Amino acid sequence: MKRFVLRRVFTGILTIIIVFALNFVVIKMAPGDPITTLMGKENNSPELRAALEEKYGFDKPLPVQFANYLKTAVKGDLGTSIIYNRPVSDMIAEKVGATVLLGLVAAVLAALIGTVMGILAARHEGSAYDVIASGASYTFNSMPAFWLGLMLIILFSSLLGWFPSFGLSDTRAGYTGMAYIVDVLRHMFLPVLTLTLVLLPQYFRIAKSSVLQVMNEDFITTLRATGMSEKKIFNKYIFRNAILPTVTIFGISMAYLITGVTLIEIVFAWPGMGRLVMTAITQRDYPTLMGIYLIMSISVAVVMLIVDIVYAMLDPRIRYE
Amino acid sequence: MEEILKLKDVNVTYSNKKKQVYAVRNATFSIYKGDSVGIVGESGSGKSTLAMALLRLHNEKSVRIEGTAEFEGKNLLALTQEEMNAIRWSGISVVFQKAMNALSPVHRISTQVEDIYHVHEPKAGKEEIEKRMVNLLKLVNLPERVYHLYPHEMSGGMLQRVAIAISLLHNPKLVIFDEATTALDVVTQGQILEEVVQMEKEMDMTRIMITHDMSVVAASCNKVAVMYAGEFMEIGYVKDIFKNPMHPYTQGLLASFPSLKGENAKLSAIPGFLPDLSKECDGCIFAPRCPKATKECRQRKPKQTETKDGRMVKCILYEGGMSNE
Repeated sequence: MKRFVLRRVFTGILTIIIVFALNFVVIKMAPGDPITTLMGKENNSPELRAALEEKYGFDKPLPVQFANYLKTAVKGDLGTSIIYNRPVSDMIAEKVGATVLLGLVAAVLAALIGTVMGILAARHEGSAYDVIASGASYTFNSMPAFWLGLMLIILFSSLLGWFPSFGLSDTRAGYTGMAYIVDVLRHMFLPVLTLTLVLLPQYFRIAKSSVLQVMNEDFITTLRATGMSEKKIFNKYIFRNAILPTVTIFGISMAYLITGVTLIEIVFAWPGMGRLVMTAITQRDYPTLMGIYLIMSISVAVVMLIVDIVYAMLDPRIRYE
Repeated sequence: MEEILKLKDVNVTYSNKKKQVYAVRNATFSIYKGDSVGIVGESGSGKSTLAMALLRLHNEKSVRIEGTAEFEGKNLLALTQEEMNAIRWSGISVVFQKAMNALSPVHRISTQVEDIYHVHEPKAGKEEIEKRMVNLLKLVNLPERVYHLYPHEMSGGMLQRVAIAISLLHNPKLVIFDEATTALDVVTQGQILEEVVQMEKEMDMTRIMITHDMSVVAASCNKVAVMYAGEFMEIGYVKDIFKNPMHPYTQGLLASFPSLKGENAKLSAIPGFLPDLSKECDGCIFAPRCPKATKECRQRKPKQTETKDGRMVKCILYEGGMSNE
């Protein structure tokens, strides 16, 4: 087990470096550069351009730029934003909390609710509940998240007025303590609902098909033949075998969440990393972009590592392979 | 001799809205204490269906079971699932074909054995269960350490032996081997059959051996029941039937296997295929493929006839005391 974890940590670090190098190259290949943004539309002076390029180190060859970046990044310094002239790590630190809060809550809710619904649908296959839940799962699965978000805003904010449609809290009210937490929860409701509804179908379907499949396995027939109660067979044997694919999906879905909530954040004006990413991309703010990508790939690698370890704990066949 | 299982007119029918499939028809016979009965027949002849029906493991929404199967004074086919649970494993246990999938892949053998043992002995301690299981493992020539392994750490032959050992946990009166050795190579199969026969001598056990392999029956059974298209054609002692098969189907079946004595006889297959089991049939079910079929065979069902050597044969040729010479 120890060797397995060490090996996974090593491959995780390797993945981060490769992903990072790819990102570095792809961003540089994209047309446009931050110098143009800095110089403004009217200014075309080649001297200013050369001076700025030298200041930010863009005059050096790409591999040297990459090496320089890695050197400082290892020390924990992600550089300074070219556009905002602030340390990138500060800018990310301000925003990352809101994104993690939104993503994590939605991921856990979707995994729990989707799995429970899927198991119930499998146990009552063909019932009215199964038909309705499966139908709803397909509907939400095929809906674009941002569109669903807009529809929920129309319904719950504009028409019913139950929940606020934007932001993380009401900045004018100046709530403190319990009142602040309630305010954040109210603001979270719609974005979390949107994300949960979009993520839920995959858990539902995986749980349902996986339980159905395990229920037909020979060892379940054997256990039935031993006279063991259906309850015990389900809670111990079917569940443990059927939950394995859900763990995998959870890992993949976490990776999606960390990178993919951007659109939802923009729809709900959520003060997370989403907008930071968008502005950094449009203005070619290389240091900020690289910093965000680095944080993202590290979090994806860490989540995958955790998922792999959990999987190895649940499935003895993994450890020795 | 004490009857341990008495079947009377057992019918098993798979049914849905469109179609009925008569998988087992009019199964009537008894199994006596200490018997080892091989049920043989082609694929699709209803052998496993009958076993699953006796164990009540069918999905009862889509399978209709009629008749009686008396086991220790109770009709297995009329019990509720709860009443049936009391008989399972302590009265009747089973070893299935696919040993590779017979155990949960993510639980240790010990965990599964403990849970199965607790079904009938909820208060048994871990040491007691381990001791019992290790004794059974010895009977099938497996080392003690197997008890703590996961299924994927064992070979197919080992898993099959573990499955056999587990089937004996609660000293069942009757063990059903449903194609239990079919997936194994002949050498392992031979070893396991030897172990099973040896075990039986020591443990006073009755066995049903479901197989399509005549040599398995020859090696491990004292009686044989030949099944065709859901019906029992001939039931009797292995020594009688192998030497002198009476029913034309049994004759055909034995002719399609190489002789045990190594004679270089030509093997012959029975021409034709299993009939469509979703259709009712007026005459003998085997008549369309039978080389000795007469007009009468196609018009009425044959009756079960008892012969002098205590065998049952279901064929018009032998009705009214006609000899088989």
